[in-house]
Amino acid sequence: MILERLALSNFRLHKNTELNFSENLNYIVGGNGQGKTTILEAMYFLCTTRSLNQASDNEALNFDERFFEITGAFRDTVKNKIRIYYDLDTNKKSVFLNDKQVNRASTLIGKFPVVTLTQSDHSITLGAPADRRKFVDSVISQSSETYLKILLDYNRTLRQRSSLLSQIKESNNRYLLSQLEAWTETLINSGSEIVKHRIKFIKTFQEYIENSYQRVMEGKEKPSVYYSFYGELDENMIDEKFRDELKERYNDELRRATNLVGPHRDDFIFTINEHEIRKFGSQGQHKTFQIALRFGEFFYLKNVRSIVPIFLMDDVFGELDTNRSRKISEYLNDIGQAFITMTDFTNFKHLQKTENDLVLNVNNGKAAYA
Amino acid sequence: MQIVEPLQVAIDELSKLPSIGRKTAQRLALHILKSDEEVVESLVKVLHELKSKIRICSVCYNYSIDDNCDICNNQKRDRSFICVVEEASDIISIERTNEYQGLYHVLGGVLSPLSGKGTESLKIKELIQRLESDEIKEVLLAINPDTEGEATSLYLAKLIKPLGVKVSRIARGLPIGGDLEFADDATIGRAVIGRSYL
Repeated sequence: MILERLALSNFRLHKNTELNFSENLNYIVGGNGQGKTTILEAMYFLCTTRSLNQASDNEALNFDERFFEITGAFRDTVKNKIRIYYDLDTNKKSVFLNDKQVNRASTLIGKFPVVTLTQSDHSITLGAPADRRKFVDSVISQSSETYLKILLDYNRTLRQRSSLLSQIKESNNRYLLSQLEAWTETLINSGSEIVKHRIKFIKTFQEYIENSYQRVMEGKEKPSVYYSFYGELDENMIDEKFRDELKERYNDELRRATNLVGPHRDDFIFTINEHEIRKFGSQGQHKTFQIALRFGEFFYLKNVRSIVPIFLMDDVFGELDTNRSRKISEYLNDIGQAFITMTDFTNFKHLQKTENDLVLNVNNGKAAYA
Repeated sequence: MQIVEPLQVAIDELSKLPSIGRKTAQRLALHILKSDEEVVESLVKVLHELKSKIRICSVCYNYSIDDNCDICNNQKRDRSFICVVEEASDIISIERTNEYQGLYHVLGGVLSPLSGKGTESLKIKELIQRLESDEIKEVLLAINPDTEGEATSLYLAKLIKPLGVKVSRIARGLPIGGDLEFADDATIGRAVIGRSYL
């Protein structure tokens, strides 16, 4: 999939920006706060109808204006045009696919796959288990609509079950315990489906992460991804194990009135040479691992979806040494289309550039071809 | 804008109906206005009787004219088979198929702690009483396959099985005459998981 054209009106700093892109690498260069990342944010908006950093729609609006509009032209086997229009007065966002209004934003998700590499990826390797689950869930959801549905089901079951647990705690009504049993079974049903999907995904993803780590860091370091749930467990045993653990924590759950067991508390462990990087990794190893995860995601989605995602990289080279920057820029030539923001023109020299690549200079919400 | 008052009132009332917008309400009101007197009177009579004559069956909680509904009274139906549904409107859907010859039981909703719906607000006690007193051999749970429906089905199955009654659930998967190509991924995914052997 190629993003051919992008037009922004009143989107943050960009009052009126129209851009045509290269099918290869697009470097977006400029000083701090000039509107580089905004261009990536707009692309992400087109693919997912949401903001990159979970900002609400009105935050992305230019301060002086009442509406914003993003239009993008994608080319794959067919051409698709997406237009997103936000109106401040009604606080409503309308999404149009080929000039036809899309009623539910979720119908668009996954149709235009996008992979991002940003500063906030720090939290994947350094942060809490929830950040790692979010990464894994988003990759699987983009590749499987079934997984997304099961995940939504599971989350709903969690809410229902915790509401029931609170009712039990407040009322001390023994009669409600038989209802809890039914919700527990529902939790096990969708929960173990999630675990199965995650186990399968991690097995496949291991190879992708090894490949991309090798490309960025030639050497003897071997990255691995482990799933904390039940280790090397037989698929048919997951239900049982889940049920046993629930039984064990039964009184705790009643006392604390929360869901204490299940895939919503899972973690994924990232290691280099079998050392957990969250504990032992250097800054450089963290960064490299984050980059490997995103490249891995890219090639994984490309293979399972047979649509090439677009790749958005926000200010990554600033943190890397010359050698690694060069490796990544070589690797980028395998990607297809990518959009890369950079602050400084000088650390550009050692990057591999072909004549098909495009350089854009962004200055105070205005972009010009270099 | 000035519209004759009775017409405006009629439009306002009609637009309160589900899936009727202002324009449709106006078209309906004008249509009624132009219709013959008998047609309108018969419509009024039908609507009035709908409300005054129909009540709830005391056995299965279906819509009924008498204390017991036609399905419960029909001796030709399979009286050893009960189909459990969420709402009485679901009975209409199942009856249209002509595939089912047993009796029904309307729960009046599903379990949902978030909206404060527990077992006591559903007709579960009444279902169990029927199972204990009558000669019921099988219960078919025809509850929507969403999260709440799933939990309700599991709850009922657990309750019914010890009574020595067989419990089944309607299958889920692809629609008849549906093309694999046009079904959504989640439906196909679930259909693969719940495949049946030949």
